[in-house]
Amino acid sequence: MNTTIKEQNGELVAFFEGRLDTAAAPQAEKDIQPLLASNGKNIVLDCNALEYISSSGLRLFLTVLKSAKAKGGHVFITGMNNDIRNVFSMTGFTNLFEFR
Amino acid sequence: MDAHSESLLEQFRQRKPLLVELEAIVLQRLQEALNQQHIQVTAIDHRVKEERSLAGKLERKGSKYKSIDDITDLLGIRVITFYTDDVDKVAALVAQMFDIDWSNSVDKRKLHELDSFGYNSLHYICRLPEGAPAELCRIPFEIQMRTALQHVWSTLNHDTGYKSDVQIPREYVRQFGRLAGMLELVDNEFSRLRTSLADYRRRMQSLVASGQLEEVPLNADTWDNYLLTHPFDRLNNRIAAVNQAEVFPAPLQPFLPILISFGMQTLGDVQQMVDSQSDNAYLLALSRVGLTDIDIITESVGLMNLCIVHALQNGGGTPAVCRILDTVSGGAQPELQRTACDRSGANGALAESIVRHASSLPFMQR
Repeated sequence: MNTTIKEQNGELVAFFEGRLDTAAAPQAEKDIQPLLASNGKNIVLDCNALEYISSSGLRLFLTVLKSAKAKGGHVFITGMNNDIRNVFSMTGFTNLFEFR
Repeated sequence: MDAHSESLLEQFRQRKPLLVELEAIVLQRLQEALNQQHIQVTAIDHRVKEERSLAGKLERKGSKYKSIDDITDLLGIRVITFYTDDVDKVAALVAQMFDIDWSNSVDKRKLHELDSFGYNSLHYICRLPEGAPAELCRIPFEIQMRTALQHVWSTLNHDTGYKSDVQIPREYVRQFGRLAGMLELVDNEFSRLRTSLADYRRRMQSLVASGQLEEVPLNADTWDNYLLTHPFDRLNNRIAAVNQAEVFPAPLQPFLPILISFGMQTLGDVQQMVDSQSDNAYLLALSRVGLTDIDIITESVGLMNLCIVHALQNGGGTPAVCRILDTVSGGAQPELQRTACDRSGANGALAESIVRHASSLPFMQR
């Protein structure tokens, strides 16, 4: 599992690659620290190369959302595959995030 | 200008720093009190009188004032409210906060003959109460209170009527009077509307609280009240129990346009869906979540599954499910996606998969 963060067009974009499961979550949590430290910038969670997401991954996305909202920022999700979209739908996460 | 007026003008110059200090204190106290009482105002205007303006006043009627303390509008504050009732609320607040010189204060609203209309505003001559620096407590200041409409009228009337060198013909004065009467009517109607809306909200809250849901129309206000009764908690907890999941709060307002698109007109219609379809919604959720080890869901899961079941049972099929997904995706969207569901789009495949899941469930077999 790889997490890369880049700044693009004034937004912070996190690129997730691989399986965001319980084993990968601790490292991913460290990797997303720049997102939590951001000062109200919009955040994009790019899931184009994300293959799988577990409950730990969902909690990680929630942490990013709560932190961004507290600072007045938005979190957008882009590039979800059908399996991940299904997880978001069955858990009700669909109406927490904004999608591109 | 005579020597007396010159002397008053000089006293004003010396007093000006104190007036500026007083202005800041009064303004801060007023703003804090209005915030505390949750009184919304459109503006608080304030000014220390300009020397030029005072000089003009002294030239016209300088002999009227024995001392500088007799000029009560050297510091002027104007509170402009949305509603006419709020003028009285602000006045009560001002009377509580400052010492009022009642003999010089005036309620212009009550000066009109019963059949005449014109300048409507409340003017209080105030002083800071004991406790503030003595040199500031001595200085009178004026607080004017009026509604936004009264403000518009008096500003236009002032600019057109009094500053002009030309005598205004009687017909135009009458026209201003007519407008004042009309604005008074509009002000009263706004207040009446606010009171009626507050009554309506209270009545709906009471009906929701007493469970008389079939009498409550379904709209944004009543939906919010209904949600306070946690109508989907039981279903959510049932779904959460499948994987001992944590239930995370989620906004349910985006579902309102979906319910309205189902033709639901009252909260009773919604409650009927909850009562009759909860078991089926649970089965649908179970068929999806039960196959995973996911242990976090949001409060929208129950309602989402209820909506899907309702749409499928009413023959909506994949397009209806797709529209539900499109509508709730992305948080608080104001209304149901009016475009036809794009089944080749992101939610199209998901909708087809949900319908496939549902088709094997008992409620779709019947």
